[in-house]
Amino acid sequence: MSKPLNSALDNTLNSTPDSAPDNALDSTPNNSTASSMSREPAQKALHAAAKSTERRAGRARTKAGVKLWIAPFFKQYRGALALALFLGVCTFIFASALMVTSGYLISLAAEDPLNVALIFFPVALVRVFGIGKPILHYLERLTSHDWILRMTSSMRLKLYNILEKDAIFFKKRYRTGDILGILAEDIGHIQNLYLRTIFPTIVAWALYVLIICILGLFSLWFALCMALLLAVLVFLLPLVSMLVNGAHQTRRKVMKNALYEQVTDNVLGVNDWIISGRGSEYVQTYRSSEKALRKVDTRLNRSSRGRDLLLQALFALVVIALLMWAGSEFGGQYAGIGNWIAAFALAFFPLIDAFAPLSSAAIETNRHRDSIDRLGELRSQNGVEDYTGTLPQAPFVIESKQLAYKYPDGVRSVLDGLDLTIQPGEKLAILGRSGSGKSTFATLLRGDLTPTEGSVTINGIAPSLLGDQISHYIGVIQQQTYLFNTTLAENLRIGNQAASDEELWMALEQVGLKSLAERLPDGLETLVDEAGLRFSGGERHRIALARVLLHKVPIVILDEPTVGLDPVTEQALLDTIFETMRDKTIIMITHHLQGVSAMDRIIFIEEGKLTLSGSPEDLAQNNSYYQSLRAFDKGSLTQHSGN
Amino acid sequence: MLDRALFELPKIKRILVALAVFAFFESLSILGLAWSLSSAVTNLWLGHHLMDQLIWILLLFASFMGIQAIRFLRDYMLDRYAFSCTDSLRQSLMHTIFSLGLEVVQRHGTGNTTTLLLEGIEQVETYLRLVLSKIVRLVVIPLVLLIAVFILDWISGIIMLIIFPFIILYMKLLGQMAGERAAHQHKEFQVLSNHFVDSLRGIDTLKFFGLSREFGKSIYAASERFRIATIKTLRIAILSSSVLDLFATLSVAAVAIMLGFRLLDESIVLFPALTVLILAPEYFKTIREFASDFHASLDGKNALGSIQKLIASYETSVSGPDEPGQSSATLPSWSQQTELAVDKLSLAFDEYEAVNNVSFAISGAQKVGVIGMSGAGKSTLIHLLGGFSTAAEGSIYVDGTVLTSANRASWQQQLAYLPQDPYVFHATLRENITFYYPEATDEEVAQAVAIVGLEDLVKDLSMGLDTKVGEGARSLSGGQAQRVALARICLDKKRSILLFDEPTAHLDIETELELKQRMLPLMQGKLVFFATHRLHWMHDMDHILVMDEGKIVGSGSFEELLTSNNSFASLVSQLGGGAS
Repeated sequence: MSKPLNSALDNTLNSTPDSAPDNALDSTPNNSTASSMSREPAQKALHAAAKSTERRAGRARTKAGVKLWIAPFFKQYRGALALALFLGVCTFIFASALMVTSGYLISLAAEDPLNVALIFFPVALVRVFGIGKPILHYLERLTSHDWILRMTSSMRLKLYNILEKDAIFFKKRYRTGDILGILAEDIGHIQNLYLRTIFPTIVAWALYVLIICILGLFSLWFALCMALLLAVLVFLLPLVSMLVNGAHQTRRKVMKNALYEQVTDNVLGVNDWIISGRGSEYVQTYRSSEKALRKVDTRLNRSSRGRDLLLQALFALVVIALLMWAGSEFGGQYAGIGNWIAAFALAFFPLIDAFAPLSSAAIETNRHRDSIDRLGELRSQNGVEDYTGTLPQAPFVIESKQLAYKYPDGVRSVLDGLDLTIQPGEKLAILGRSGSGKSTFATLLRGDLTPTEGSVTINGIAPSLLGDQISHYIGVIQQQTYLFNTTLAENLRIGNQAASDEELWMALEQVGLKSLAERLPDGLETLVDEAGLRFSGGERHRIALARVLLHKVPIVILDEPTVGLDPVTEQALLDTIFETMRDKTIIMITHHLQGVSAMDRIIFIEEGKLTLSGSPEDLAQNNSYYQSLRAFDKGSLTQHSGN
Repeated sequence: MLDRALFELPKIKRILVALAVFAFFESLSILGLAWSLSSAVTNLWLGHHLMDQLIWILLLFASFMGIQAIRFLRDYMLDRYAFSCTDSLRQSLMHTIFSLGLEVVQRHGTGNTTTLLLEGIEQVETYLRLVLSKIVRLVVIPLVLLIAVFILDWISGIIMLIIFPFIILYMKLLGQMAGERAAHQHKEFQVLSNHFVDSLRGIDTLKFFGLSREFGKSIYAASERFRIATIKTLRIAILSSSVLDLFATLSVAAVAIMLGFRLLDESIVLFPALTVLILAPEYFKTIREFASDFHASLDGKNALGSIQKLIASYETSVSGPDEPGQSSATLPSWSQQTELAVDKLSLAFDEYEAVNNVSFAISGAQKVGVIGMSGAGKSTLIHLLGGFSTAAEGSIYVDGTVLTSANRASWQQQLAYLPQDPYVFHATLRENITFYYPEATDEEVAQAVAIVGLEDLVKDLSMGLDTKVGEGARSLSGGQAQRVALARICLDKKRSILLFDEPTAHLDIETELELKQRMLPLMQGKLVFFATHRLHWMHDMDHILVMDEGKIVGSGSFEELLTSNNSFASLVSQLGGGAS
């Protein structure tokens, strides 16, 4: 079973299922025209979507992608590439030579009378080519895979370095879809492009030149004829099929993506379809979309079948041309030089395998274009320069003066003149509706954004100047704690790479996970994502807390860490946080009142402005708005005034 | 590689027969090709004139194109057949998903369901296109070619015949091993790419700890480590595939050399020898082609399996054993006097919260609060009441008629369901609001918008109600999504049973307070089930069910429960203690 293995290995190296919707980056409304419920026929919407692709912009992006992601790696690994190509060409030469020598051999052997000694040289050659071809093929595969894998390592590093500069916002900007997963897959697509398009194409071109040269030794005019005939096969047909199919393929892709979005949308809302009793309505809409897609598919299939037919007719012509030329060149007498006729007639058959895939390889480039475009679109941001000025020293006072921030594409300021001073060790709760600017404040404080107006400083130094050094001052516990798919110990050591096992255990004890960790099959060395072992939301946050404790920062931002936890779990977590961070400055962004009474101060931000500020006791006694919220939250009998 | 599921496809016998006919003519064309080519070459070799060979050359071209024409027709037929098969498969799958709904989606995951629908079916299509013809060709073509070789030269025939089972055996033995190794490779590679994606996904965490810049080196190092390990395995893995290659190539060389020596002995002449030499590679090619596209076939086979299983699970759920009690095709319409009775309801999941032997009865328009901690079984109970899940044991009765999968639709059309995050479709705001009631007039929509407090949003949107919202367009906040869902309920006045599942759990407190005031009036005169862990809702409920670990541990009004029920009292102290 050679092929299963081959293709399995190819798949191993190019494990990029095309299952992800390709245009997750283009999440602008006009690109996703297909709507589930639009009353116009879905077909119309799909067509419109297909037309709305901006070709020119696409071409520029492709260029950038090629320049950034293909050309440099070609140069970097040219030695390995040259070797792989050489072996690839040799494999085909040997395959062809096997048929040539075999044809010659049996013709020679059939001669009557024959000098028996003559036959041993062709016999030896048949053996050499027969054994050599699989060996060369083996070496070629090994070299090309090694080359591809080397390149992958470099491409991964490059992608990572680009994304790293923009780490905080990348995920937020493309909230929909798993953009990071898709980018990682794009690298796989580029591997495919190398392995399935670039590599075989170059090999075929090299063979083309070689064939013409060899024929040129025998007859110049015949070499010219063959050069023309083969040029149709090697250059014209792939080019034409790439151009002709390109438009259809693009259209198909747009339609397929639209369908993907449409189906995902409606599968997510499946309950509403069922409850509304309109389920069959959607099934109908979907069918008509599928039919439209099928039409394009039919056309693509038809053109690929037609192309294959044409291709084979050309192969037939080449074989016949070789036969007729050999017949007129070497024929005319019995045997002798005529032994070459069989050799030439058979020579081309193995080479069909080299030339046949060219057209589909050329078409393949259309499929990978998106990946190249997407990667080409990534702009490497200028990294923050390392900070060399004086570092802030404890105790840390955070001060924000007339702080304002407006997102580049925003209409109004998210923060609008915020004045706030946070004392060392202070526990501050920030409340406000979603979109009121609470989280933006935290981002500005960490220096990941710079204020549009006003300032926020730590001991007078703007955090954005500190670059990566800010991580020594501010720790963050996010809404969702990310656990890396590695051991628990490694996950904790994110906080402090040098931490000993004892320190890890101590941190686990502090956050109340010690007994849980002791029950794990491999203790600290247990993989966090192993089947059957899933940390709950509360436990994940405790791990995040342990990381922050190990990191030993003086200021901690809690960015709505308790969303999705039930009140008892939430309170227990907050108790742990406050207990372990007694000496740290805590800035807790929250959407409800759980835990705020333990804070020193509560502030409310409304539309970018500070609207209310005071200690919990103070507010509870003197502020009616806070009182009403508190009463509502507690839901206790005594304060229930009826609605 | 043979898949029994294939033989259950419609019209499969006819297709297989047609394929066999195609394959037979394909082999004849191959024979024609070999015959005409050897004839022409032999005649030229003998010194005959080139012009006398034109007829052979024409036959050569005709056979060559004959092969292609047959393949063309075969592919055309398979293309149509594969589409018609997958189209009906697609229809049943869609029907299943949009009838069973949440149950399917929850069990398989949204991503998987969508992938199965879009990619899975396409994989099945490819699979059908590839595998049927491969099976038939493997049987027909080598057989015909072998017979021809035997007629031409029985010694070569015997060599090729002996090699054939040898190769099959080799494929069977090594194929399994190679398959396993390939699968192992695949897994290893998956680990590596997962490691990479994992690092990318956690990149902000790394940044927060100032590790992100350093981490690039570790990514490169890991990638290189895997490369070296992979190449080591590849050396052996590719070798086994090369051995097969060696077999085929050597057989051609062996046939050539043997023919050469026998030609010397004059025990054979050039024409049959040349024909055999041309046929030998074709003979081995068919065998090797059978083993190609391993992954495409495997994916298609698996997808076909999953789809058929999913559809079958639906069919059993529809025609499953009849529940006890009076069953009918429609459930009675709910009225102010209707009694809803739940009898010994149980459902257990591996991961989800479960319901354990729950019974209660409610009649008329009542607001029923379901309270308990996370994992107490509130959501599962709401799902069971809505018919989104099927109970493992026990039944739900509406005025004595049992709720079954057959009459589920008539039940679901009487109810509205508000989950923690209602789904907002990628469509206009108007289409979203009128989802249950598409024929709503502009006035009705405007009224609903006012009732739920969406006026500000409508004003903010560039095209008002006709602005697209949802994923990929203008996304709505949690509170806004809740309001849209409320507006849906508000518009469709026919729905008199409301199911709420933690609708305000993740909203900020100020939004929650405002929404509560919008929600309460909508509950008037309806049967409401309201699951929550937020205590303040309980004041507004007529009846409260207290749940703990899947069981109902308390039932009664707020006051009754507070004085007489320990479970409720302890829950109140736990939940009410938020600010203390």
